[in-house]
Amino acid sequence: MTRFLVVVLACFSAQAFAAGDADSGKLKSQACAACHGPDGNSPTGPDFPRLAGQHYDYLLKALRDYRSGARRNPIMGAQVGSLGSQDLADLAAFYSRQKGSLHVVR
Amino acid sequence: MRISPVLLLLACLPVHAQTVGNAEAAKGKNSMCIGCHGIPMYKTAFPEVYSVPMIAGQAPDYIVKSLQAYRAGDRSHPSMQGIAKSLSDQDMADLAAYYGGAGKAAK
Repeated sequence: MTRFLVVVLACFSAQAFAAGDADSGKLKSQACAACHGPDGNSPTGPDFPRLAGQHYDYLLKALRDYRSGARRNPIMGAQVGSLGSQDLADLAAFYSRQKGSLHVVR
Repeated sequence: MRISPVLLLLACLPVHAQTVGNAEAAKGKNSMCIGCHGIPMYKTAFPEVYSVPMIAGQAPDYIVKSLQAYRAGDRSHPSMQGIAKSLSDQDMADLAAYYGGAGKAAK
């Protein structure tokens, strides 16, 4: 029984760790702003994506894939290579909460 | 033999000409997109569970770059790789114009 409880608690703590903090993300987003704009909705190059308001879990997956190399991009691979998992979660939380023009159409 | 500078210039043009997207033309081409990207908060179930990104309002050049990356295998989602491989450069430009332009219309 104790072992079962430990396993259950371990699951909760893993989830808690994965949650991003938008305020921390804002502090960590200065390098990102050079291309994506300070709010993530005003990219400085035509082929840089808007991030503002994008889904948190999609942004986090993109960042993780850049870091692991599953998504190959020289710029982003270099930018996120040195970041920790909490950094990625914080950045995803920050950008997903900014107002932007992304939406759904059919 | 004298080569006209104007002709020389014209001969160079096609190399640099970008594929121009037509948003109207995309309406007959986006049936493969709407099943996932047209449903609010839709999530992929394979190979990982996460929310499908919102693409309306995205930068058109980035949409083209993403589709090219799926086609080249630089991005790994199996459905998107299959779909991107079925698209021509003109299809990609048209879809980018449609979804990118949708953002401007909504603002």
